[in-house]
Amino acid sequence: MFAIYKRLWLVNWAEQWQYRANLLMYLAFWLVSPIVYLAVWTTIANAQGSINGFTAPDFVAYYMMLLIVDIATSDITIHIFGYKIMDGSLSNELILPIHPVLMKVLVNNLAFKALQMMALAPIWLILYVLYQPVFAITVTHVLLAIPAIALGFMLQFFAGATITCIAFWTTRVWSISDFYSNIFRLLAGQFVPLALLPAFMQSASQVLPFRLALYFPVQLLLGKLSLEETLLDLGLQVVWCVILFVLFRLVWRAGLKKYAAVGA
Amino acid sequence: MQVVKTMLQQSAFGAPGADSNPIVVEGLSKTYQVTDREGGFGAAVRSFVKRKFRDVKAVQNVSFRIGQGEIVGFLGPNGAGKTTTLKMLAGLLHPTSGSAKVLGFTPWERNSGYLRSMTLVMGQRNRLSWDIPAADSFLLNQAIYRISDADYKRVFDELNELLDLAPIIRKPVRNLSLGERMKCELAASLLHRPAVLFLDEPTIGLDISAQVRIRAFLKEYNRRSGATILLTSHYMADVTALCERIIIIHHGQTKYDGKLVDLSRRIAPFKLIGVTLGDCADCDLSRYGTVVPGEGSEDAGKHSVQVKADEVAAITARMLAELPVVDLTIEDPPIEDVIERAFHE
Amino acid sequence: MYILKLFSTFLKVNLQQDLAYRADAIVNMVMSVIGTGWDLLGLSIIFANTKEIGGWGPSELIALMGVWRLVNVMMATIVWPNTEKFNTGVRDGSLDYTFLQPVNSQLLISITRMVVWRVFDFAIAVALIIAGMTSGNVITSPPLVAAFLALTFSGAAIIYSLWITLISFTFWFTKFDNSVTIMAALMDAGRYPAQVYPYWLRALITFIIPIAVATTVPLQALRGELMGWQIIGFLVIGAAAVFLSSRVWKAGVRRYSGASS
Repeated sequence: MFAIYKRLWLVNWAEQWQYRANLLMYLAFWLVSPIVYLAVWTTIANAQGSINGFTAPDFVAYYMMLLIVDIATSDITIHIFGYKIMDGSLSNELILPIHPVLMKVLVNNLAFKALQMMALAPIWLILYVLYQPVFAITVTHVLLAIPAIALGFMLQFFAGATITCIAFWTTRVWSISDFYSNIFRLLAGQFVPLALLPAFMQSASQVLPFRLALYFPVQLLLGKLSLEETLLDLGLQVVWCVILFVLFRLVWRAGLKKYAAVGA
Repeated sequence: MQVVKTMLQQSAFGAPGADSNPIVVEGLSKTYQVTDREGGFGAAVRSFVKRKFRDVKAVQNVSFRIGQGEIVGFLGPNGAGKTTTLKMLAGLLHPTSGSAKVLGFTPWERNSGYLRSMTLVMGQRNRLSWDIPAADSFLLNQAIYRISDADYKRVFDELNELLDLAPIIRKPVRNLSLGERMKCELAASLLHRPAVLFLDEPTIGLDISAQVRIRAFLKEYNRRSGATILLTSHYMADVTALCERIIIIHHGQTKYDGKLVDLSRRIAPFKLIGVTLGDCADCDLSRYGTVVPGEGSEDAGKHSVQVKADEVAAITARMLAELPVVDLTIEDPPIEDVIERAFHE
Repeated sequence: MYILKLFSTFLKVNLQQDLAYRADAIVNMVMSVIGTGWDLLGLSIIFANTKEIGGWGPSELIALMGVWRLVNVMMATIVWPNTEKFNTGVRDGSLDYTFLQPVNSQLLISITRMVVWRVFDFAIAVALIIAGMTSGNVITSPPLVAAFLALTFSGAAIIYSLWITLISFTFWFTKFDNSVTIMAALMDAGRYPAQVYPYWLRALITFIIPIAVATTVPLQALRGELMGWQIIGFLVIGAAAVFLSSRVWKAGVRRYSGASS
């Protein structure tokens, strides 16, 4: 089993390396919006001194951390797999005795992530020099952040894979995925630290899983969470991962049944 | 030897049930529902509001069984239901009704034991990663199919010997020619030594010499491994070179299932007599049979006459007696024509 | 007039294509409405915490959102679908057919695929602009509105020209086929007035990928912040961009035919 993942990794790495020029282009997607929101909120904070206790340096630290965690936990399943369901090239993978999503797409995701991180590093350092963020990170935080980020990614991966499966029923899933990323933007903390959301959205974000995928690891790395809060959220991450995994399996199975009935 | 192979096959794949044939298809049918839409702008708008559906019977009640080590040609015009049948047998499509057992497995249950013991090659549809050398894709398949290093090396060496892969597998796939790509594609599909091969147009788009190489390879592979092969092709040369037996399907229904040589006898019970005449301005060949226009270069005085198979001897004798014959040959009608006729019967 | 006829024919064919995907069209319209609501919610979060941002109030940002969406409609209707088609064409060689047709090739690659239901988004964008302009303290006068319209149009033309230039580069650098994604990535920066951004990002979205010229600048004109000569300057730049990009395209086509023969 491990041998398959290792081989998949090597192949994906080699493949993505071929596309390194394009990779830089895609990186812009992850870079631009945090920088835009960072600019918006620091402008406001500078004009007013602070917003609900958030000062400009707080925003800088928040978005600089978000840049890293966002790439680490994001999922690209819909972009690399959605079209395969629609144009029928999924058939090529279904005749292989491995799971196309849980193995191939997962590894593809990881290889993409690894290269994105490499591309981000120099840009992040330049931004660091420009903005001079102040972090208060301890070793404990980093150690706790590793499972938090891993689980955050798995959460997004299972959610993304489930949404991608909608392609079995409707020809284009892009608008649904746009809808999902709109929600994610507000409720996972990409737009603004969740503490600054209006009260009703804050409570919504607390209940929903989105914040676990991004906001929680960011807050953890910024040293804003107590150990109890951290462990509670880690537990919640596990629970949501299981729920979304089961959901994915159900939708995938139903989707395959439909695919086998209609053909593509 | 054949018996031993069959036994091995059965013990390896645990074929339950009585039928020892690796492929058993009973009354397989597949009906699609498609949206019916006329052309034109108004129709598009109407169809936006209200949809009409229509059933398309892609495959209707197809049955056949294929024995261990057979190479069977699966023929029919475009849209006859060949690919649909192959996809069902490979487990990609669920039939509307009917059953199929391949190596004892029901294909569309997609048991991973089944997936590891068969392969489906669809024309130029790529199983190889476009941007990396084929060698890397091979290693990936080794992992996916859980092939031990020793087995991998043995199989690869054998495939390399047959297909001469060594010079091409280090180049990124996108830089390969069509023929080279097909070789790699086949090799990648065979690394796990599948017992059953479904080949959908394996030579499509290749030039003649590449076609010949692929054909020779398939024949040799079949001889060495005893694998069962079901292939579709539009090139009759593929079929005549590889398949003793053919199944013809048209409008989703089986039209013929039997030996290729018997087909000409049944469908087209006639032969072609090719005669080259000496100096003879007013010789009338239509007295002997239908004069077939075409291939023979008339200038050299070569003509083709189509006659009933059971009259060949008599007519030949008459021709030799009555005409200044320089040369005379008796040939079967071209297989393309025979099959073309079989489609439309 | 020939161009108009051609355009309307393509429009009709594409509409026919889109009508075949009924659920798609309906889902997309619903999503557009929800997306707009969601964006307004985002603005309301900002303005719950401040009265103005970079000197711009809520109604101005609503109008800006409208203009930004207008540019996005153009991207979604024409630019993205045709980029996809163009890239496939380069890869599988079907682009050759484009050059076989007796029509201006630039026009042809710009309009072969249009996602027509985006017209719905166009209506939303116009509604946002009107709502923003009439609801707040935006100073408007007929000449300013005229300048606004002209600058929006020329801004869109500049973005279109940039697109033509970028895909023309594919003829020289085949590895360049994803350069257009950089445009998509930077589009987001057009949601807010350029004055908010640090100087390097402002320079980037004004001079390199001039999304600010298509969004912030028209709004500035509407607010009466631009001098007459500045307005004329931007219009001249727009015309120059259209002219230059068509030259780049022609050079690219010459290069393509030279390379493939």
